[in-house]
Amino acid sequence: MDKAIEVSNLIKDYGNLRAIKEISFQVDKGEIFGLIGPNGAGKTTALRIISTLLQVTSGSVKIFGYDLTKQPDKVRECISYLPEEAGAYKNLSGQDYLEFMAEFYSENSQEKKSVVKRGVEIAQLADRIKDKVNTYSKGMTRKLLLARALMINPRLAILDEPTSGLDVINSQAIRRLIKSFAKNGTTVLLSSHNMLEVEFLCDRISLIAEGLIIETGSPPKLKEKYQVQNIEEVFMEVVK
Amino acid sequence: MKDFYNLIRKEMKELMTRQFILSLVAMVVIYGMLGRFVGRIREEQETKPITVTIMDLDQTYASRDFIDRMNQREEVEMEVIEQGSREEALQKTQERAEKALLIMPPGFGEKIEERKAAELEAYSIIKGMSMTAFTGRSIMGVVNSLSRQMSLDFIQDIAPDRNANDLVYPLRAKEFVVVKGKAAPGSLGIIEGFAMSQSVLIPVILMMAIMYSGMMVIGSMGMEKENKTLETLLTLPVKRSSIVVGKMAGAAIVALIMAGVYMIGFTYYMSALTPETSGAGMTALKELGLMMTPVGYLLLGASLFLAILTALSLAMILGLFVQDSRSAQSMAMPIVLLVIFPFLVLLFKDLQSLPLALKVILYLIPFSHPTIAAKALIFHDYLPVIGGMAYMALFAAVAMYICVRIFNTDKILTARFSFRKRKRGI
Repeated sequence: MDKAIEVSNLIKDYGNLRAIKEISFQVDKGEIFGLIGPNGAGKTTALRIISTLLQVTSGSVKIFGYDLTKQPDKVRECISYLPEEAGAYKNLSGQDYLEFMAEFYSENSQEKKSVVKRGVEIAQLADRIKDKVNTYSKGMTRKLLLARALMINPRLAILDEPTSGLDVINSQAIRRLIKSFAKNGTTVLLSSHNMLEVEFLCDRISLIAEGLIIETGSPPKLKEKYQVQNIEEVFMEVVK
Repeated sequence: MKDFYNLIRKEMKELMTRQFILSLVAMVVIYGMLGRFVGRIREEQETKPITVTIMDLDQTYASRDFIDRMNQREEVEMEVIEQGSREEALQKTQERAEKALLIMPPGFGEKIEERKAAELEAYSIIKGMSMTAFTGRSIMGVVNSLSRQMSLDFIQDIAPDRNANDLVYPLRAKEFVVVKGKAAPGSLGIIEGFAMSQSVLIPVILMMAIMYSGMMVIGSMGMEKENKTLETLLTLPVKRSSIVVGKMAGAAIVALIMAGVYMIGFTYYMSALTPETSGAGMTALKELGLMMTPVGYLLLGASLFLAILTALSLAMILGLFVQDSRSAQSMAMPIVLLVIFPFLVLLFKDLQSLPLALKVILYLIPFSHPTIAAKALIFHDYLPVIGGMAYMALFAAVAMYICVRIFNTDKILTARFSFRKRKRGI
């Protein structure tokens, strides 16, 4: 079984509002897959469903073969989710926060130590890692949260706008980091507004608008299909 | 279990901030200082002599005898003036910061010699409106005491072969109190003091522990939502029930620390305010069977534990609707009201003397039961205590079940409590 994610005919309603109108897509193991679309298209809802936060209205979702509805605990063991507007516990230090999170994924103190060490390296906060989170800038908090999401070497990393709030230099470093994790076997599902980021990172993308997937493919193939220079133009062509 | 302890540790670290610890220390210091201050004032009031200006406008043998008698009293410090107007005397009294002015008008001695009631004018100087302005020794207390003494002396003169005390007080009652069929020598005052400590002190401590626990959990949920940490927490490989119980346990430990500190401070403050029960009083309470047994304390502790558990479960459900720390405060109101209402009702009335409807309402409110238990256990009445505990256990179990069920759905993220029309978004 080579599929990390299998989404079939997924529908999500919020009361009378249909946020996702029957979407289907699959993500291979080790692949970086992007959900691209404008605000309110349903990207975050899809990611939150796959992260076990929201319930499915109808359709099915399987993560590494585990049924999301029937085996959410098994799914949670495989994933690491970074929400777009996430925060960390303000009264903990960055180090304490990573230690708290590492505890859930470690069998013993040795393993926990190495997970936290990896987290500290990814975060690149130097001595500030020992300061309380409430003293961090937005960018520093984002780096800490990314470190939290990736330090456990998850089988599936679900990243909602991973470089949101980061400057150009930090964004590039994070993109390289995501690529290196994927090379080491982590599957990545991400959403982004940044089309350049998507083009650089993703093996394949799905364009999503008004709760529907309107196109799926690799960035080079999509550019070729629509005879355009970049993904931004692909998107404009598709939604025309 | 490892994950559960990790959650409790995190919860405690989050709640026990530097500000929280500082406020706890401040609470102890303030109560300590208040206790010392109030205790010193009470002691002063009890032992300090009353300062009196006596204006003798009569200047007879009887008026001088009265002044002598006053002078012999340890509880009186006095200044005597023999002339001037009433206004001048009042002004002098106030200038000397004395508490009272006593004027013996002309004709005072004549009435005394005739063994008729002689009139005095007693002025109490009120310097403020605080409690201490009205406590301590009063001039009327001194005058009445002297009046009794003079009465005994006059009778002794008339009937030297009789005991004057027997003639003035021909009846002497030995006082007994009867509680639930048991009688013991003692006064109503002793029982009143004991009842006050049981019906005020214990319920206040219970109330604080329950309220703090509830508020801590709701506050913790508010912080999770405000800091946007809840989503990450819910995607961790931990059972949702562990998250619920971990949050409750962490908040309960912090709340108990807070309630414990409050209890120590409040008990110290109250002990400074109220005199200790005397040895005779304790004997009377023992004979009446009004002492709490070790089993009683155990049951009271269990009742408090179940009340806290109930408050925590209820608070977790209310916490689902909280959006931030500010809305957490208003969401804690239902719990605060449910705790305060039975406390206030049961402070003034016994449960049995209430109308049926109110009695039923109180039985239905789980937080009534620790207060009911505190009173019932004094009389070793275990049935309502055990019944209340069973009810609270059932209430907490149902509330926890509902809470875990909600945590297992996406209501935890989508639930809103608003009187305005709900906005929808993706």
